[in-house]
Amino acid sequence: MRYRITHITRYTSGDPVSVGQNQAWLRPRVCDHQQVLRYRLKIDPPPSVQTERNDAFGNPLASFAFNEGYRQLTVTARGTVEVLPRPEIDPERTMDWETQAGFVAWPATADDREALQFRFESPRIPLSPALREFAEPSFPAGRPVLAGALDLTARIYKEFEYKPQSTTVNTAVSDVLKQRKGVCQDFAHLQIAALRSIGLAARYVSGYLRTTPPPGKPRLVGADATHAWLAVYCGPAGWVDLDPTNNVIPGTDHITLAWGRDYSDVPPLKGVFIGGGEMRLEVSVDVEPLEDAETGV
Amino acid sequence: MPTDALLVEPDWLLGGYKAPPGVYDELRAPEGGIRPQWDLFREAFRHLSADEFQRRTKLAEEQLQENGVTFNAFGEEGESQRPWRLDLLPVVLPPSEWNEVARALDQRARLLNAIIDDLYGEQTILATTKLPPSLLYGHPFYQRSFHGLPIGKGRSLCFYAAELARSPNGQWWVMADRTEAPAGAGFALENRIVSARLMPQVMHKVGVERLAPFFLRLQDSLRRQSPNAVSSPRVVLLSMGPRNNLYFEDVYLARYLGYTLVEGNDLAVRDDQVFLKTLSGLVPVDVIFSRGFESGLDPLELGGGAPQGVSGVLQAIRAGNVAVSNRPGCGLLEAPAFMAYLPGLCRELLGDELITPSIATWWCGDPQALDYAFGRFEDLVIKPALQASGGTEVLPGEMTAVQQAELKAQILSRPHAYVAQETVARSASPVWTGQSTGVGHLAFRCFLTGDDDGYSLMPGGLIRVAPTTAPMQLSISAGAGSKDLWICADRPVEPVSLLSPEKEPVKLRRSGALFPSRVADDLYWLGNALDRAEFLTRLLRAVVERLASESDTAYPELPQLLHAMADQGQIEASFAVEDFAKVLPRLEENLLTSLFDDGESRGLARSIAEMQRLARRTRDWLSADTWQTFNHSATRFKEAGETSKADLGDLLEALAELRVNLASTVGLLADGMIHGPAWRFLEMGRRIERGRNIARLLKSTLLTRQPADKHTLRAVLEVLDCRMTYRSRYLDNLQPNGVLDLAITDETNPNSIGFQLAALSEHVDTLPEIAGTPLRSEEKRLVMAAVHQVRMLTPDELVQPISPELRSSVDKVEQLLKQLSDVLNRHYLVHASSPRQILPENQ
Repeated sequence: MRYRITHITRYTSGDPVSVGQNQAWLRPRVCDHQQVLRYRLKIDPPPSVQTERNDAFGNPLASFAFNEGYRQLTVTARGTVEVLPRPEIDPERTMDWETQAGFVAWPATADDREALQFRFESPRIPLSPALREFAEPSFPAGRPVLAGALDLTARIYKEFEYKPQSTTVNTAVSDVLKQRKGVCQDFAHLQIAALRSIGLAARYVSGYLRTTPPPGKPRLVGADATHAWLAVYCGPAGWVDLDPTNNVIPGTDHITLAWGRDYSDVPPLKGVFIGGGEMRLEVSVDVEPLEDAETGV
Repeated sequence: MPTDALLVEPDWLLGGYKAPPGVYDELRAPEGGIRPQWDLFREAFRHLSADEFQRRTKLAEEQLQENGVTFNAFGEEGESQRPWRLDLLPVVLPPSEWNEVARALDQRARLLNAIIDDLYGEQTILATTKLPPSLLYGHPFYQRSFHGLPIGKGRSLCFYAAELARSPNGQWWVMADRTEAPAGAGFALENRIVSARLMPQVMHKVGVERLAPFFLRLQDSLRRQSPNAVSSPRVVLLSMGPRNNLYFEDVYLARYLGYTLVEGNDLAVRDDQVFLKTLSGLVPVDVIFSRGFESGLDPLELGGGAPQGVSGVLQAIRAGNVAVSNRPGCGLLEAPAFMAYLPGLCRELLGDELITPSIATWWCGDPQALDYAFGRFEDLVIKPALQASGGTEVLPGEMTAVQQAELKAQILSRPHAYVAQETVARSASPVWTGQSTGVGHLAFRCFLTGDDDGYSLMPGGLIRVAPTTAPMQLSISAGAGSKDLWICADRPVEPVSLLSPEKEPVKLRRSGALFPSRVADDLYWLGNALDRAEFLTRLLRAVVERLASESDTAYPELPQLLHAMADQGQIEASFAVEDFAKVLPRLEENLLTSLFDDGESRGLARSIAEMQRLARRTRDWLSADTWQTFNHSATRFKEAGETSKADLGDLLEALAELRVNLASTVGLLADGMIHGPAWRFLEMGRRIERGRNIARLLKSTLLTRQPADKHTLRAVLEVLDCRMTYRSRYLDNLQPNGVLDLAITDETNPNSIGFQLAALSEHVDTLPEIAGTPLRSEEKRLVMAAVHQVRMLTPDELVQPISPELRSSVDKVEQLLKQLSDVLNRHYLVHASSPRQILPENQ
């Protein structure tokens, strides 16, 4: 499936910003199931310096800074991405979760060692006995790791209410667990926290989701949003993505931007500035499916 | 070396000292004689009486106090200050022993350096499992942002401290590693300087190795870190600021090493280069000697707003434009858990056996180690595995069975977060108790600096003393006191010192140290607050005088003055718009309470509080007298607020006193301050604020739709302090154009808008140019535009009825002054606000 993505972030400030430095995780990551055909990051006003490199998790990361003042910053990421179907994995044939946890704890392979990075507390994901208790019903002794993880995904989908504005970007996982509502970022953090609390490795995935308009209605341009889900490490079966907000295993509707231990490793845009007064943020995301022949602008 | 054991030793010196059994005695050999390295020391003391020694001890205390050697010495008011304590009796070690320590610690520093480079690079020691990967990945201070930072010139671990103890058989053990920003070297130096002043002959006789060559080496190591090919790289010492309890040491080291002391806000990153913001513009920085927590180094990538944070500094390191020393990431190794793996890592990375062992350590994240630790639970100390060890260790041996079980459960819930360690009964040495000597147990802090050639050990160090052999906290402020460590030289000691000799004439210069723009910023706002306070005082006095008047005279100008006060933000706007007769009683009430309320953001009390705060921060740049008058004005005003809220008479008195106090401050500033950049920024802050205040006053009183009456004209002259001048020119003939000329266009009147603009024009001309434009700077253009507005006014425009052109000109000038303030802030004083994180997008 091929998409043309336009992601516009605009910061408008009351007073001029005197100096600003930013980092953006906006270039879709190239991975087994995803090719990036074109990509362009347009920054207005033009920054005085701009570089791109890979971060410690292998995500493309753009850094840019301003020396001159501005009142409005517009960051536009445009890309054309090809998302390929992923191999199907039979959840019942994955390794039992206890063994899997053991392999992660004392890694013998490079893959296991890589996975171990994602099994500890991270800045946005502290672990707690409550999270462990929350995870346990999905993981009876000997259950295959992916079967258990899918069960947990389904439980979050059923037991939690998706409610925009019910949380902020800083809402703690423990609060989400208590109030039983949140947005996709919260559900991703919650499931990651639950999986880590029983010793499994899980990582946060930032990206986009194709939205399908109601039957008979045209697709609304710019009405999409960024999305977040997670991936759980299943040893020989590799990393398997899970979307607790929609209770699905992501396929060709999910476009991957970047992954990390939690949101704080891969926010679409972060930055520091001086001055600026009151700041307003507007985000517009457009995920446009393309016909096979089109390649996008 | 004379080893005559029959030398008569002064009883007072060592007589009272007897090391307890079961610990190593630094003074006496097991057979009972004094260890040979102490012979010369003892001999040098033969002619010194106990009283004389005590006298010198007192002198040492005084000297330390005078030098301000304290923790929190520079803290805000009200914080406790702890004096530094030095026992003049040193610990003496022979060169043979010290060389062994030097060899061992050189190896250890090379090992730690290799571990850091590997962990933030290839991570081969994880692949070979010489280090359990979970130890790194579960480490809360393992920062991904530090991963892959280029390994610059010189060592990642450039400055390192090891905490040593000696077990009963004399064996050295490393109790802790300090790799982030080791503290204590400055205190060791201060101890040495004081000891040398008070016991010069003793020191000379013993032949003590000097410390200065070590600091020369440190300077050299830091210089070599520079990624830029410049002959003399600029090194700055990055401090956590006055609130940090080791600020004394930062100031001391910066002065001794000749580096500019900076806080995060003093540095700016532009185009991936780090600059020191000085008033002569941005000065490139090559090496940052960082004294703070690395986790606060870069607010952009690591979050937070730590005082030592410099947004974008990591990107500048990546771009190869600056070196931060120690390399960010070194702090990881302060975690005691690493000690369990050093022998294996030493074989793997250096191909050597570890010479001096660490205190035996078991990391509970390893199941086997955990079993072992639980097996010997009562003999061990339990402490956090991943934090630099401090005062949080516990002793299961002193616990009840129930407490032990609880501790075990706690460990089992997060085993990777704990280590178990053995303890060492620390060696003993004599300590001075005032009349004779008693027993102290020693912690040795040793300092190393290194480059590609290896590491040099400071010949000396900081010794902390504890009264018992119980485990000792590692903070350098812990312990009952400190001692100097004397290493006997095995050759004649050459005099080397970094302090300039006192008897040479100074080299003449007209400017001081680099003038950081943080100071300019504070001075600018100090000038601003001072003038605001002055102006409000005059305005308030005019109002209160009228309100308090005993006579029944009506004051038709009061509504205009209230309008002016409301426009200044001193009172609520409603007082100015409502029917005057109605608000009067409420107004008196309001003034009595609001005048001293510093919660009102633009009110007088707040301006005074702000003035006091800024004066405190810029104390180094003001004369002692000036500083005192600032402080005095504010303190007296606060006192007046506390004692007299009774009536308008009290208020009037307080305002009168404040007026006089502020005037004396202004006088001292004008007369006593060098007219350099510091003064200019203070002046610009004052002039801009005054220009705006006059403009606002005129707009709310005279430049209104209704022609102003004589009372209002008189009141304006009063607030502007020009009644005498007016009278001398026009006698009692009050006319708007005469008043407006005096308030706007007359550049000889210090209280006119024109005067402020002329002064600003001169100040702005001296500002360092901002490179890149051949045309006039924004600041100059703004001032010129404002001057133009005023100078182009015609006599007709000042005549009644007041022309809209005049109002719009004054309006324009006020706006230009506001813009000038913004531009000055943006170009020179970006400290006015701290960096903030942008709003994150919720996913």
